[in-house]
Amino acid sequence: MTTRKHLVLAGLTVGALALTACAPASDAPASGEQPADGGEEVTLTVWSWQAATAPAWEAIFDVYEEENPGVTIQFEGFQPTEYNQILATGMEGSDGPDIPMLRAYGGVQNAIRAGQLDPIGDDIDGLDQFEPTVLRASEGQEDGLTYGVPFAYQTMQMFYNKTMFDEMGLEEPTTWDEFIDLQEALLAEGVTPMALGAREDWVLPMFHDIVGSARYGGAEFEAAVLSGEKDFTDPDYVASLEMVEQMQQYLDPDVSAIAVADASLQFTAGLAAQWPGGSFDLPTFRDGAPDTEWGVYQVPPPPGSVLDTPVTPGYADGSFGLNASSANKEEALALLSWMATPEFGQIFADEAQQFSPLPGVEYSDPLMQEMNEQYTENPAPYLLLVNFRYGDPAGTAVLGPDIQSLFLGQATPEDLATNLQTGVSTWFTPSP
Amino acid sequence: MTAPATTVGRTARPRSKNTGIHLPFGVGLAFVLPAALLFGVFILYPMVAALSYSFFDWAGTRQAGFAGFSNYVTLLTQAPYAHDLRNAFLHNLLLFGGAVLFQNTLGLGIAALLHRRKRTKRMFQTIFALPYLVSPMVIGYLWSLMLSPLFGPVNAILRGVGLDSLAQPWLGDPNLAIWVVVGVTAWQWIGFPILLYGAAMGGIAPEIDEAASLDGATSWKRFRYVTLPMLTPTIGIITVLTFIGAMESMAIPFALGGSSGSPARSTDVMMLLFYRTAFESGNANSIGISSALATVLFLFILVVSVVITRFMRRAERRLF
Repeated sequence: MTTRKHLVLAGLTVGALALTACAPASDAPASGEQPADGGEEVTLTVWSWQAATAPAWEAIFDVYEEENPGVTIQFEGFQPTEYNQILATGMEGSDGPDIPMLRAYGGVQNAIRAGQLDPIGDDIDGLDQFEPTVLRASEGQEDGLTYGVPFAYQTMQMFYNKTMFDEMGLEEPTTWDEFIDLQEALLAEGVTPMALGAREDWVLPMFHDIVGSARYGGAEFEAAVLSGEKDFTDPDYVASLEMVEQMQQYLDPDVSAIAVADASLQFTAGLAAQWPGGSFDLPTFRDGAPDTEWGVYQVPPPPGSVLDTPVTPGYADGSFGLNASSANKEEALALLSWMATPEFGQIFADEAQQFSPLPGVEYSDPLMQEMNEQYTENPAPYLLLVNFRYGDPAGTAVLGPDIQSLFLGQATPEDLATNLQTGVSTWFTPSP
Repeated sequence: MTAPATTVGRTARPRSKNTGIHLPFGVGLAFVLPAALLFGVFILYPMVAALSYSFFDWAGTRQAGFAGFSNYVTLLTQAPYAHDLRNAFLHNLLLFGGAVLFQNTLGLGIAALLHRRKRTKRMFQTIFALPYLVSPMVIGYLWSLMLSPLFGPVNAILRGVGLDSLAQPWLGDPNLAIWVVVGVTAWQWIGFPILLYGAAMGGIAPEIDEAASLDGATSWKRFRYVTLPMLTPTIGIITVLTFIGAMESMAIPFALGGSSGSPARSTDVMMLLFYRTAFESGNANSIGISSALATVLFLFILVVSVVITRFMRRAERRLF
């Protein structure tokens, strides 16, 4: 009898504990460290979700440490999927970083609303060099103040295995017909035309924009949907979703069961010829298959497209902000100011192999130079990330799992458009 | 060890009747205080805090006014929560059903077989309990690697032995994926009922079994009419614990289907919905709604656990 009671009680207790373990704490105490005096050693902590590129970040900060004796920068990289939770907990308590890497657009709003970040617009020179769309990624939705120095933007294109294309005598397509012929030729060669990790829903809205942005109208549609002139049930938007459905024949037959890491291995191992993905993927391919030559192109618009030129969707990736409870604000602002200089932009581009939003940055890597040129010539917003992550459900959270349903034959492109419109309508109101 | 537990449950009954020991109030308090403090700080406070959070509107991590029951109304009636909640809840029930089925058939069966083995019992119990000692997150990732349609060994082995038709996209088919979650969960936890049933069977006096044997009862009859009824309390404990575990399942579904319950929300469970609402949503009021969800889930688990316990206790009374 008593043993059983013990166990039941223990079970209930464990249950209660698990449920409430995630509850946030109340008002956070300030950082425990003492403010540093002028001559003393200062350690600034920087948190990031880019654990994979930690060596690059350490090299970048080494440059700053050399130029600024007495400042030590402690970089801590976390897994991207765990970062939001870790940062939210850290900023709430006393263990947060002096300088957190902040998610862009909707992703940073809760930290701003909670007063965990200091606005930095008045303290940092050179924020005006950033494109307004990039800078918007670190602005408070309600107050319009700037809370971060943008450090990177990402582009989304079609990568391909150039070594394989050369062996098969295939070339980058410049028209829609050439694009379809290319996919058929690859099928005939017995390789999977495109590798896609569709088991993870976050890649699917990206895939949609890579193939369909020009079809629905890119930035033109963005303006129309924000003003309320159009919505997601617009025939052009539905047609772009039909393109996703049409592309399924060029994906692995088990695409819904393939994780991103598997798909990446499929691409680098030469089992798949193309990778619809982001510029953030490039280092993975370079490391995975150093001897393979990679190329990149923009998917040509199909007949009937709103835009007649191919586009490269992109988005600001994030920014570095200032923890309101940092004990080393002066030094942290100095570091943030450095992050707005061309010197930082160039080192960042060279070391991290990512695109800096700072103007005048040159890319030693010809492929990155090409990707950057494609984006700067024909940019398009990654619509659902840039504009539709300010509420619940986020646009990507609706469309991602719904494209999985589309691939599984459980939904039509019209269903997807309707669900997306219904979902974001719960919080989004157009402003004419 | 066991005596104070009885008094925890029934504080109204005078302590001396149970134990024959009289303790001055201060001394008793001193003994209770460390545990009470830990309980208060780590369990009671967060519980009460989560409950109170659910009655407020939130702006990020700052409270923005009293909200009454509006977070609960949002949770239960508005998109996307209402639909996701129903979907996730059904999957939790499936997990519970699957686990109970596995544990009370396979688990009990293995425990019964092991009970009769004197020499290798310990070894096998340890082997069966091993997965239970590994973090469920690790178990989930290992299985997701093994079930990969491209590079996973499971399909490779099936194709290798000519069972091509059984080589499935395990985690890509919504009708299969949830059963993979059920199966992997059951696989990990099977050692737990084996240990508990083993211990309970060890506690049954051998004389009862011998007496039945002398009366001519077959091995099956002895199990069915002697051992099984005497295991009723253990079955009750395991059912309650399994229920709690299934309702709070998070790590294995997360490792196998990500936070959105891929593919197409077919492996979504309540805790994933909680996780998404609390940590991945762009909603300023995510703390309010996720706290309401946590409270609803807690109350549901509490009520059902109490009901199961009552039911099992009544079943026991009928037996003895």
